[in-house]
Amino acid sequence: MARLFERRLTPKDSPLVILATTTTAFFSAMFVTSFLFLSYGASPFQAYFALFHEPFATLRGFGYSLVRASPLALIGLGTIVSWRSGFSYLGFEGCFVIGAAATSWLALLMAPGAIIGPLPFFLFLPLAILFAFAAGGVWAGLVGIVRARMGGNEVLISLMSNYVAIFILQYLVSGPMRAPGSLPETRLLPRNTWLPFLLAGTRAHAGILIAIAAAGLVWMLLQKMPLGYELLVTGFNPLAARYAGIDVARHLVLAAFFAGGLGALAGMVEVLGSQHRLMDGISSGVGFVGIVVALLARLNPLAVIPTALLYGGMSVGADAMQRRASIPSSVTFILQSLAVLLVLIFDALRYYRMNFDFWRRKPPTVAERVSN
Amino acid sequence: MNGSPHLGSAFVVTWLSASLALAGPVLLAALGETFAERSGVLNVGIEGTMLLGALTSFLASYYTGMVWTSLLIAMLVGIIANVFLAWMYVTVRASQVVAGLVFNVLALGVASTVYRRAMGNSAVPENIAMFHPLHIPVISNLPLIGPALFGQTILFYLTLMLAFVAHFILFRTTFGLALRASGENPAAADSAGISVYRMRYAGTLISGAAAGMAGGYLVLAQVGLFRESIVSGQGFIALGIVIFGRWNPLKAAIAALVFGACDALQLSLQIFGTRVPPQLLLALPYVVTILAISGLFGGKAVQPAALMSPYVKD
Repeated sequence: MARLFERRLTPKDSPLVILATTTTAFFSAMFVTSFLFLSYGASPFQAYFALFHEPFATLRGFGYSLVRASPLALIGLGTIVSWRSGFSYLGFEGCFVIGAAATSWLALLMAPGAIIGPLPFFLFLPLAILFAFAAGGVWAGLVGIVRARMGGNEVLISLMSNYVAIFILQYLVSGPMRAPGSLPETRLLPRNTWLPFLLAGTRAHAGILIAIAAAGLVWMLLQKMPLGYELLVTGFNPLAARYAGIDVARHLVLAAFFAGGLGALAGMVEVLGSQHRLMDGISSGVGFVGIVVALLARLNPLAVIPTALLYGGMSVGADAMQRRASIPSSVTFILQSLAVLLVLIFDALRYYRMNFDFWRRKPPTVAERVSN
Repeated sequence: MNGSPHLGSAFVVTWLSASLALAGPVLLAALGETFAERSGVLNVGIEGTMLLGALTSFLASYYTGMVWTSLLIAMLVGIIANVFLAWMYVTVRASQVVAGLVFNVLALGVASTVYRRAMGNSAVPENIAMFHPLHIPVISNLPLIGPALFGQTILFYLTLMLAFVAHFILFRTTFGLALRASGENPAAADSAGISVYRMRYAGTLISGAAAGMAGGYLVLAQVGLFRESIVSGQGFIALGIVIFGRWNPLKAAIAALVFGACDALQLSLQIFGTRVPPQLLLALPYVVTILAISGLFGGKAVQPAALMSPYVKD
């Protein structure tokens, strides 16, 4: 029996098909969200123009898009390293906070008259990167040890650890690190620790360069290095990995360490590039949107940068839309998550192929046979 | 706290009754989640479902003033939202963690958009219809435990009763057996004539109904208003309670009380003024959850064997 849609044994996984399903999913999400705009009495075309014009067609807006994209990209990269190694880590909100706190503590030591005193930026930055990466790496690595050695469920433990990290942050900014003043925040970080601005007249800072470099390194790690290969095998099939002599437990902890470190770099970039101080509520969901970015980028380290730019830009555009058309910016949460849900749904389609013979090779009917 | 017997007993009374009150909503959500996980579905989406339940029960109570209707509406919304989730988990066979997690972001977007749409920029309304604590005569005046055990809202007693009902259904009925079989060995269940898909849909929808109601519980019996941060991880705590309770409704009730006690300790200690930083106490329930599910106390062995693995019928 010929069918129009035949089920394949494995999903079609050519890059073209994956790109096609992803973009179809994203445009379908935009289509669904248009009805939401219509309910506000706004034309969807104007709404999408507002959503994308400011972040991508104005210099100032593009600067903000880069600012928002950098931490998203770094968290997306952390997601890629851990998830592709079979470690479903969800604690990036916590890593972000830990990285931001560690960086701020280090930077405040560099204030004039403080313990270390002013350090040239080219010395400070590598130090900050190492320190933040190590802090986040240890934070997430603990979850990795729990999973690898005791068999705990990393999904839930990492979700819980987010809240613990946020309470640690609240304790720090309302207690030991609090600056004199009414708000729970630290004093402004010394200027010699700020990331340099890239484009005159915008807020764009060197954080995006750190994100791009990290994307290159993660790509190198996963595609070109033996360690990355071992991590991927661990993720694909831990039993086969163990049979091949790979220490699965050690690789899980290592994947967790890298993921946490990358998540912490996101916090470092946010503090040194954009906020210039540590304050309560600095994370506000970026740890989860970063995961969503990685998913839309199909866990591909190079695709993370443009996807992060798209999502970062959308959040900038949403603020503009809220100011001008008084459509709440929470609409973008709907658009952003709907896109990924639709990607998951459209992925099921890759299991099917269309059978064109369904139309062509019909057995001739009696009437046709007679006329021949 | 400082040795005075009167203050000490006041502390115990507030602590106990707050423990039970805080345990209620998470227990309700955990009972539903037990069904989902026993059928083989890890429903991470209950966090978002609770938020949607909280929103709809708030709006319903604001507009109609009827608490039971509001609770029912929250439950229905929970079921409807989880029809979608169940479809994602069972039919589309998407990764359960990913679908649930992204659904939570979607629910946050929907809830805050709808709330702003409905309420505009007006000030938060002060009074919505709520459930009030019952004061069962005589026994609620017992010293220490009286006010705590017999001065809760009707929802608390209902939830406690549901724990026994859930236990009965899971372990004493054919449906419960079929549900558990689908989560332990779906292929065997299938060859025994059980529709694994139907069981997993049922499990997910039950967890959706319970999570929607749990959101309504939060609003209608505890907070009395809606804000985006009203759930703030309580759905995830319910997931932890399911593990800590070893996928058993009665043990989950005990686990929920332990978490409620930690949560309430922070409230009580703040009221009675201590030098401990409040954030340390606020983090306590989360740290306890992490320790409880870390595997330090075992637990991997009793998890439903087919949890998180989609079933493909050949």
